[in-house]
Amino acid sequence: MSVFERLQATIASTLKVPADTITATTKDKDVPSWDSLGHLNLMMAVEQTFDVMLDVEDFANLKSVPTLLDYLKTQGVS
Amino acid sequence: MAIQQEKFDSLLKIQSRAELREQLNSGFDLTLPQAQQLTAHARSLAPAIKPLRLGIVHTFTSDLLDTWLDHAAALEGLELNTYHASYGVVVQEAHAKSGLTLHAPDATVLLLQREDMHPDLAKPLAGFNPEQQLSLRQESLAWIKNVLLQFRAQPIGLLIVSFLPPVLPTGPGLYDAQSQRSETAWWSAFKGELAEFMRSTIQSSLLLDMDEVAAHVGRGKGFFDWRMWYSARYPFAVSAARELARRIVVPALLSKHPKAKVIVLDADNTLWGGIIGEDGMHGIALGPEYPGNAYMDFQRRLLDFQQRGFVLAMCSKNNAADVQQVLTEHPHQLLRESHFAAKRVNWLPKPDNIRSLAQELNLGLDSFIFVDDSEHECAAVRSELPQVEVIRTPAKPILVPSCLDRVARLEVLSITAEDLEKTALYAQERQRKEFQESIGAGASGGTTDMRAHLAALGMRMNIGIDDVKAVARLAQLTQKTNQFNLTTHRYDERQVRELIDSADWVVAHFTLIDKFGNSGIVGLALFQLQTKGDALLETFLMSCRVIGREAESAFLHSMLRVLKERGVKEVRAAYAPTAKNGLVAQFLPEQGFEAIGDGHYKMALTADTVKTESAFPIVVQFDTLSGSH
Repeated sequence: MSVFERLQATIASTLKVPADTITATTKDKDVPSWDSLGHLNLMMAVEQTFDVMLDVEDFANLKSVPTLLDYLKTQGVS
Repeated sequence: MAIQQEKFDSLLKIQSRAELREQLNSGFDLTLPQAQQLTAHARSLAPAIKPLRLGIVHTFTSDLLDTWLDHAAALEGLELNTYHASYGVVVQEAHAKSGLTLHAPDATVLLLQREDMHPDLAKPLAGFNPEQQLSLRQESLAWIKNVLLQFRAQPIGLLIVSFLPPVLPTGPGLYDAQSQRSETAWWSAFKGELAEFMRSTIQSSLLLDMDEVAAHVGRGKGFFDWRMWYSARYPFAVSAARELARRIVVPALLSKHPKAKVIVLDADNTLWGGIIGEDGMHGIALGPEYPGNAYMDFQRRLLDFQQRGFVLAMCSKNNAADVQQVLTEHPHQLLRESHFAAKRVNWLPKPDNIRSLAQELNLGLDSFIFVDDSEHECAAVRSELPQVEVIRTPAKPILVPSCLDRVARLEVLSITAEDLEKTALYAQERQRKEFQESIGAGASGGTTDMRAHLAALGMRMNIGIDDVKAVARLAQLTQKTNQFNLTTHRYDERQVRELIDSADWVVAHFTLIDKFGNSGIVGLALFQLQTKGDALLETFLMSCRVIGREAESAFLHSMLRVLKERGVKEVRAAYAPTAKNGLVAQFLPEQGFEAIGDGHYKMALTADTVKTESAFPIVVQFDTLSGSH
């Protein structure tokens, strides 16, 4: 599975939406359940699933699929 | 430690929730999506999922706990319907029309912070001298006692209260334990006093010690997630959330699942290492060296479960003499003959033996927990007796002592005097049976023999009326008694207390004493006094332990005498048939009640219908009515 596919699955299961609604351009405002609580749950899920360490400062910058993919790339996730 | 993909996939193939729980106990970390998948899988397993309604009142962010609460619930066969009060709203939820009360939860948990109780708790405790610390504690207790009283006045189920531990270690640091102004000592004293208040005054409640949760997962990385705490005021790291969720769901589920009463233990590789029939007394591992010391610790742990009120039984495939030798002669065997309420040591199939134990102990199979190291035996019992919960003893000796610590149904919410006496009570019963057989008043004896036997027991009955001290035991009786129970109404402690306090209800109970001992409180009758000089016998139940001694008749007629003296003219009653109470189908007619159709009965209280004390071989005494009406 590609990083995108793994991220797509993580977002889908955490926010309880069908996987195909999460695309390469999806951002938080596109998904009703990606509210502030959903985002916190997602931050935890991403951290655990990809074994990365997020800082509080990162939370605010990772509210879309593109920013998340960029971040995972910088963390060496492939 | 993260879980390997292969291992995770195998979890999704497990078909029993008990097995799934066991696997997840091995300390794997779970990611959120993994937990969610396991939740969905656990929900789909048999038996069908049951609903559990939960209420949460909180002064810090708690919504993120939901995934873990749902997960803990699903593993125990429950689906949660959770109401979250608004952030920071506490006492406003403690009234009849609040969202919380209208939600009708089975359990309500108060997730509070220490600082909620008193503004001075936000300051260093070490800044207060001992006198000031004492008044601070009294004022804080006053706050929480008031909150608990208000919540308890509403029908919100089991009331669970918790306080978040501090984010940082104690003010005095390493010196705290020894300091005169010790914070830990202050909080221990606080919890002790709160516990006393809850035991005596707040029925159906539980103090959830969050400091214990933090100790369990580790205060540092295990408990607090500082990023979540400082950015969103949600404290919990995943390991804390999982453990806390479990400690909320487990007490709540105790009222939903059949109550566990018996732990049936295998012997070889469960109570000791090795096989007695092959290794002999000197070959089995049971002693101060590894691995025998682990098995000794497990036996020691079983004594703890006995103290919670569970009865121990044995079911082992062995020659009886071999096992007997260990029980009587092995110097490191902690569990002796007297610790087992019953035993089946033979070569018969274990499911049959367990059924036989259920009959002997007069307990339902759904109250049995079976512990065995053999996968083959566990599978046999799982498939033939699905109501029995099966725990497989770990193969690794170091894991054996704790193997029952995560079994939800082995937790208790109260411990009564009767609980502490359980095994002794079974031993007394065995002696009575033997006595009965010895004087020939067994199955072949006629009425005269039976009468002689009963008279020889020298029975005395103590009847208590509206006795507040008995609340926990009476609630327990309504929840556990299935066979000798006319209407099978279940009550929790809060409800029993209300009936006792009400002028319209008479709550009567009895204990039975004979030459072999005191049975403890074994019977309950609830009469509702109605206008026009009638009373309704709303509940009449008795523990199976004392069947066959005319205690039920003596109790009923004694209470009818009491009611007659109070001016009651007629008593109505009902029999509501269930799968388990066929035993009492004819009880009311046998006692002189007249059927009026539809399972309802009545009896006019006259000198002819109400029997005197001498009609039964039991001397009846009423406890002095202190504080009752």
